[in-house]
Amino acid sequence: MANLSRRSVLGGSIALGASRVLAFPHVARAAATTATMWFAQGFVQDEDVSLRKAVADYEKASGNKIELSIIPFAPERQKIISAITSGVVPDIVDSNPLEILQIYAWQDKWVDVGDVVETQKAQFSETALQSIRAYNAVTKKHGVYGVPLRAAVAPCHIWRPLVEKAGFKIEDIPRTWDAHFDFFKKVQDSLRKQGERKVYGLGFQVTSNGVDPYNLFMAFLVAYGGQNIVTKDGKLRLDDPKVKEAATKAAAYLGGAYRDGYVPPSAINWNDADDNNAFHAKLMVMDLDGTLSTEVAMKEKHPDWYFKDIVTEGMNYPNDNAGRPVPSIVGYTTGLIPKGAKNVAVAKEFLKYFIQPKVIGEFVELGLGRWLPVMPSLAKSPFWQDPKDPHLRGYVQQGLLGPTIPDPLVFNPAMAEVRNQHVWSLAMIDVAREGVKPEAAIDKAFKRIGEMFAKYPVT
Amino acid sequence: MNSVSVADVGRPAIRWHTLSRSLRGGLKGGEYTWAVAFVVPYLAVFLTFVAYPVVYGLWLGSEPSLYRELFADPIYQTTVVNTVLYLALGVNVKMFLALLLSGFFMRPGRWMKVLLLIFVLPWAVPQISAFISIHWMLNGEWGFLNNLLYHLFHIEGPFWLNERWTALGAVIASHIWKWTPFWTLILLAGRMAIPLEIRDTARVDGATGVRGFVYITFPLLANLYLISTLLSTIFLLGDFNAVYFVSGGGPADSTHVLATLGIRDAFDLAQPRLGVAAVMSALPLVIPLVIVLMRKLRTTEVQL
Repeated sequence: MANLSRRSVLGGSIALGASRVLAFPHVARAAATTATMWFAQGFVQDEDVSLRKAVADYEKASGNKIELSIIPFAPERQKIISAITSGVVPDIVDSNPLEILQIYAWQDKWVDVGDVVETQKAQFSETALQSIRAYNAVTKKHGVYGVPLRAAVAPCHIWRPLVEKAGFKIEDIPRTWDAHFDFFKKVQDSLRKQGERKVYGLGFQVTSNGVDPYNLFMAFLVAYGGQNIVTKDGKLRLDDPKVKEAATKAAAYLGGAYRDGYVPPSAINWNDADDNNAFHAKLMVMDLDGTLSTEVAMKEKHPDWYFKDIVTEGMNYPNDNAGRPVPSIVGYTTGLIPKGAKNVAVAKEFLKYFIQPKVIGEFVELGLGRWLPVMPSLAKSPFWQDPKDPHLRGYVQQGLLGPTIPDPLVFNPAMAEVRNQHVWSLAMIDVAREGVKPEAAIDKAFKRIGEMFAKYPVT
Repeated sequence: MNSVSVADVGRPAIRWHTLSRSLRGGLKGGEYTWAVAFVVPYLAVFLTFVAYPVVYGLWLGSEPSLYRELFADPIYQTTVVNTVLYLALGVNVKMFLALLLSGFFMRPGRWMKVLLLIFVLPWAVPQISAFISIHWMLNGEWGFLNNLLYHLFHIEGPFWLNERWTALGAVIASHIWKWTPFWTLILLAGRMAIPLEIRDTARVDGATGVRGFVYITFPLLANLYLISTLLSTIFLLGDFNAVYFVSGGGPADSTHVLATLGIRDAFDLAQPRLGVAAVMSALPLVIPLVIVLMRKLRTTEVQL
């Protein structure tokens, strides 16, 4: 019998391992049919269930495998940014946050998915198609880098019992912009006279945390005529007098409402969840906040709140002060394929499957309607048009069928810095607390915005 | 003529032999192989999880333009001031309280052990949920604290998180509440390690009460206290949770510290290099602290 030395055992083991890898190429073939996917965890469990179902259906239909990781919102955002920075990336991620589509397209970090979108191009809304294009500063061209999966808009959420306690009816709420929001000041005044010590008319997020204050300010900016702050070719238009006037009016109204005591004082330091909590605590009569999460979160626990007390139905944005419709800014969750992904083919195939109207429609509906579909044809489904549901028809009208526009950050990623460095928040707070005139607050904000855009020249 | 001598020709071989012997440290044959086998996993882990991230971080934050951008951020200066205050007050108040409390918990009795058990609870609870609870407790309208003030004394409490100084104060107080028990235990262990004979002898010589603390206990604890303070400073410099979950960096971005600014830049702005630069800008403070700490740890004098 041959002598076994330590060296011969080690050498033999290595040789055995190598031969196994070489002798079983099916492992490599299996890898070619597997794609990894990261997706943000839903606000309600049904969202995750609906995603898992879509993935399972695809796996059954294709024979491919999707390794799905559902990750809480904030950690997923960090994970995506870390992955793209390090270069070790999954095959599919969702756009969490939505601006990573534009930020990393600028740096040439995404695979162009124009061919995926093309399969359903006729189905998507025009706003969705605009929102998935982005400028690539390396190739100096625009490309299609995202596949629209779902959408969100910021509706007004209103407590009917508080409006009625103040002696008004929901039908009394005016349908022009300033009058609409002034109405809730009257509601507050009336409630205070009745001894309600801590109820405020308006739930404006005059804070420098999260994305709510940006969405709030942008809604007012658009309503006052400043929607062209960034042109479709990515140019900043701060020199447009309409834009400056609109921004000044927005800072004046939002900061002024806080200064005058119509917004809960703690709103100055709310985080993303605080306005929802404050609304559920009936601290304010109305809240302008993204998605239907305010309502959906209460559907099981307080069905009365969902079906009777909280109003969004028929409360699309009021018209502007001149009586013209105000478009809603829609944000899109998109599917993205990072450059360096190991299995682009399966990733694209899955996304093509996922955006089939039947599949993507079911995905959104199983999530209880917190998110909107991205195809107008899907708005006609019994789910969205259910006459027994007081919220869904109004929500889908506002975010899909009514007038909509993309967030300006889709035209230039500098606007994402404006959002995340809370430039509008600081302008609102300057007016609300520091006694700064709105014009001065906006001059300061515009200076900062100009500096941010200087870093992102679109040629 | 080539002047290479016989001695020169033999030198490399001798050097290699000496180096090899030095590396082996007296180990021979199989012993040396096993030693290498045990060291290699540690080295691999060290290189992968310690050396590589540090070098990668230094590389990420190495561009001077990042620091120009960082210093141009209007909230950077406020953030540096907050960080200094957070460290100075958070660490020193906490350590001083821990020093006093460790003396209190030296008292004999079963009830003292029960009290100690209750006292360490803040340290035992998960910090994120604790800090979120504090954020809600301090809410001006419906928070527990102001409701309590109203019900007990009919006074409207302030909006704790609406002003920079009260919000920063709340963050510092939360940190002290959370971590004082831990450092109290460390100093308590230090006190318990002081031999009874020393204390008894001092007592016979009249060093009781404050005199005993000043002349006996504190000198013996001084090294431990200093090392604990340095460690706590280094830990706190990287602390993100208290600020993020209690004040959220607000109001108006006025209570950020370098750790939260780094996270904001890295992940909210999707600029990881800028985030690393924000954290790296604390290096002029961290490096001297680490050097002092290392020197203190290297001391050979027998001291608690």
